[in-house]
Formats: sequence, C-alpha cells, structure tokens
Amino acid sequence: MLLALDTSTDWASVALFDGRDVLAEETWRAQRRHGDELFPAIERVLLSTRTALSAVTRVAVAVGPGSFTGLRVAIAAGQGIARGSGAALVGISTLDVLAYPHAPSKQRTCPLVPAGRDQYYAAFYQERNRKWQRRSPFMVATLDEICRQIGTHTLFVGEIDAGAEATLRDLLGPKALFASPASRVRRAGYLAELGWRELESRKQVKISEIEPIYVRPPSIRVSFDQPFGPPPSDERSLGLPKRS
Amino acid sequence: MRILAIETSCDETGVAIVEDGRRIRANLVASQLVHQDTGGIVPEVAAREHLRALDAMTEQALRDAGRQLSEIDAVAATVGPGLIGCLLVGANYARGLALSAGLPFVGVNHLEGHVYANWLYEVEGGEPPSNPPEEPEIPAIVLVVSGAHSDLVLMEGHRRFRPLGRTIDDAAGEAFDKVARLLHLGFPGGPVIERIAREGDPNAFPLPRAALADRFDFSFSGLKTAVLRLVRELEKKGSVPVADVAASFQKAITEMLAEKTARAAAEHAVETVLLGGGVAANLALRGEIARRIGHPLRVPPPRLCTDNGAMIGAAAFFALRHRGTEIPVAVRSDLKLA
Ligand SMILES: [Zn+2]
Repeated sequence: MLLALDTSTDWASVALFDGRDVLAEETWRAQRRHGDELFPAIERVLLSTRTALSAVTRVAVAVGPGSFTGLRVAIAAGQGIARGSGAALVGISTLDVLAYPHAPSKQRTCPLVPAGRDQYYAAFYQERNRKWQRRSPFMVATLDEICRQIGTHTLFVGEIDAGAEATLRDLLGPKALFASPASRVRRAGYLAELGWRELESRKQVKISEIEPIYVRPPSIRVSFDQPFGPPPSDERSLGLPKRS
Repeated sequence: MRILAIETSCDETGVAIVEDGRRIRANLVASQLVHQDTGGIVPEVAAREHLRALDAMTEQALRDAGRQLSEIDAVAATVGPGLIGCLLVGANYARGLALSAGLPFVGVNHLEGHVYANWLYEVEGGEPPSNPPEEPEIPAIVLVVSGAHSDLVLMEGHRRFRPLGRTIDDAAGEAFDKVARLLHLGFPGGPVIERIAREGDPNAFPLPRAALADRFDFSFSGLKTAVLRLVRELEKKGSVPVADVAASFQKAITEMLAEKTARAAAEHAVETVLLGGGVAANLALRGEIARRIGHPLRVPPPRLCTDNGAMIGAAAFFALRHRGTEIPVAVRSDLKLA
C-alpha cells in the first residue's frame, strides 16, 4: 500500500493507493493550515479504508517546486513515517504531478504553481517518441518570461486564477489552452501512481535525501529584531517571499 | 518510560532519548553555523537545515542510546513558541514517526522544556549513577533567558506554570548579540561579551536600568540604545575601551534580570530558583541572582541551557505523567505557557 502526501501549495492532498487502484483520496484547500490538517486527513484516509498504517509499505511525497514551508510539512511527515515503519520513501516533483493526468491529451503542457512576486514555478512537458516527459528544467519566472519560451499551442494546468488566465490569453492568444477547472487541480492519486511507478523501477534512496526542490535560494532576511514575531511573509502566504 | 524527543524551534536541531524525564541516553545537537555570517537567524535557512539534518540525527540518537525504535515509548517534539517554518519540520517528522511506529505523540512547549532541563542528568558509561541528583523542589521561580526569550515564570507544580513577566522588546540574548555586534565582537554575543567583560571595569560607565510599571516584565531596548550612544561618543573621542563597555553592559543587564528574579522569589515566598536558556550560562548572571536570593542557584550545565532535544523529552515525560493536563498537538509560533 502506498500513502501519497502533497502540501506543496495552498492546496493539499492525501491518497491511498494499492498499486492498481486509488482507494481513497482527500484534496482540500489548506491555505496555511497544512501543519494542523495533514495528520487528521491521513487518519481519515486510513480509517475510511480500514487500513492500518503498518500496511503502508511505500510513501510518496510531492517535493515541489512550491511553497518552501508547505513542502517541508509533507516531506518531514513522510520522512518520519518512513523512519517509523520502514516504508520506502519517494519524492515526486509537484509539477510532474500536475502535468501527468494530461499526458493523454498529447498537448504540450505547462503546469503553473504560484511562486509569489508575480512569479510562477513552471516546466514544459511533452510526448516525444511515445514517451511523456519533462522537456525543460524547473523554472521560476513571470508569466511574460514563461510565454516567451512558448511557440506552439500549450495547455496550462495548475493554480491559475482569473487574472493569470487573462494574462496568458493576452500574451499567447489562441495558443493558450486551459484545462477544465477540476482537471487542473493537483490530486495525490496521481502522485501515488507516479510514486509507485518510481519505486518499482528504482531502489530506495536514503530518507534524508528526499528534499524539496527549492529552485530559489532562501531570502536572506535576518530574523534578528523579532525572532518570535509574526512569521515572515513567505511563511505567512505559503507562497514565496514578497519583494521587499 | 523512554522518550525520543525532537527540538527544531529555532536554529539548533536537537534529537534526544530520555528515560523517565531525567536520564539522558542520547542528546544530539546540530548548531547551524550558517547563521554566523549573517549575524542573526534566517528562518528559511534554519528550516532547510532542520529538514536536512533531522532523520540522520534520529538514527544516530537511537544508535547512541543502543536502542531500537521498538524500545521507545513515546515521541515528543516542540510545537511552539518558535519560528513556524522550523517548528513544522520537527513536529511533522515526529508525528509521522509516532503514527507509523504506533506510539503516542507529545507536543511540548519549548519554554517548559527549558524549565525541565533542570530535571535532567547525564548517564556515564551506560549505568545510571547510584545517587542521581535530587529533583528540584517545587514551587520554583524560573528565569528563561536566551536569544529568543526572557521569561520569568512561577512553577506552582508539575505542569502548573504562571507566567509572571516577559520582555516587552528584545530578548536578553538579543541584547547581548546586538551589543557584541556594536563592539565588533561577532555572533553569538553572550559568550564573547562574558569573556571580554572579565578584563573590564563594570563600573566604568553608568548605564540605565529600565523600570517598568508592569513589575516583572523586562525591557532591554533602552539599555541597548544607551550602549549605542556611549559607543558613538567614545568613537568620536578616539577609542572605545571594549572591555569596559562590555563589563558595564553586562553588569546592567544582569542586575535587571537578577533584581526581578530575586523579587519574584521573595514575593511568592519561593526558595527554589531555576535558570534556563543560553544566557543562563553567564556566570555573572548566576552570581548576581545567587547573591540576591542568598543561596546557591540550580542551573543546568551549559549544553542543557541552550536549546536541545533532551529538555523536550523531560518536559514530555512530566506531561504524560501528569495526565489531565493539556498536551498540545498543533504547532503555534506564539504558543503560551498554560
Ligand atoms: Zn530556547
């Protein structure tokens, strides 16, 4: 049994997968409450399928790019579960998870995850020689910069609000395609599929090697005056640092 | 009862194994040297380091203690107060570990950890000492002073805490850090100021002590500003007698801390005074409090004064033993002492 955990952005998702079927899945808008809501969700998913955690032999976590603080919630939890039960742990890119359900469309696909400062994390995916693969490095850029790399029709998935959709239509005209609202939500069932497949083909790495894909270096803002004051804005928004 | 305990509230990653709230079987602390360059703690850097270190340290702590996970009875982690991004790493790791190992998870208030550091002792060569140190007597006045806190607490009983006062601006340790920076002495400031102050005259420069209406609260920003002004003036005159400034500052701040601590003990008719936090390692502070209360103090060894996992394991044990008291689970950066 594989348990999949994703707290990469405002949206969180948990799923249980037996290698053939998704047995249960919970996807919700956690905003900044991942820390409080992840474990109750895990417990509900296990309870609803009458699964003991001891039956979970594999754990897949989404490793970003995404909100630094958010990513670490599921990764730390996954590391702890793996340490406690001996389950195999695998990390899958959040963008891979977003793009994966759209593989059958055969469209060039661009998942977007908000990165703050009007920027997004993005990558391009495409089928080539019958193989669906990421065809670019992970990037963090404004929509304008991302669109400059786009020459063909591209399907956008992920967290795209009305403003971003309008900007993309402005920049790309008819080349900008949009997946339907429900199909662009990130769901842990897909993370589970990818994680399962990865663990079938690759041997388990050390638990501590499962780390976030940060893309960006940390903002060097010293918490000197108020170490225990309100969390910095990147933590508060669970997005990324605002430009100061 | 054997507890695996994790501390990640600030910039030290701590993992420990503690028996019956007192005996330390393993106590690993990774200090994040990355912050020395910036002269302060960068929360995002600290959180990254915690995640990078935590699992390997947990494995090592079990090895140090010569124990399997199956021989652990509970898993504890700090759930506040602290930097939220840092707390979330330790707490979620610990909850995952507890859930999958079928163990209870105990959330611990970091300040309670500093208090219960006074209950800990180390085990030499695997065998507990034939006469372990006595437990501190309760009630007690506890002063927790570090780069993150300056709290004065009345401990009425196990898990019964009454906060008496706290800083209204800087933490005491921050004041040390800032003055050290002003004198170009590096970070962290506490140890280096204490060392240099030994060569100086504590009466060289009179510095103000803040008198607050709220009687047990502290304020250090006035003192910090006065030191700044003094240093600027001395610079204009040509040279800064660093040792004298450090000694005068240390005298002022330790007197402020000691005066309130001693008064709290007198007012609440409490004999026992306990210290915690990194600044508790300062000998001038210990001496000043002992002088004012008229008897020796109980202070944990320096490595138990600073943030560590063992103190969280001790606090978790007493939380479990005194059932009926509330055990927090959710992570809160501003968690209060109950
Ligand atoms: Zn502390």
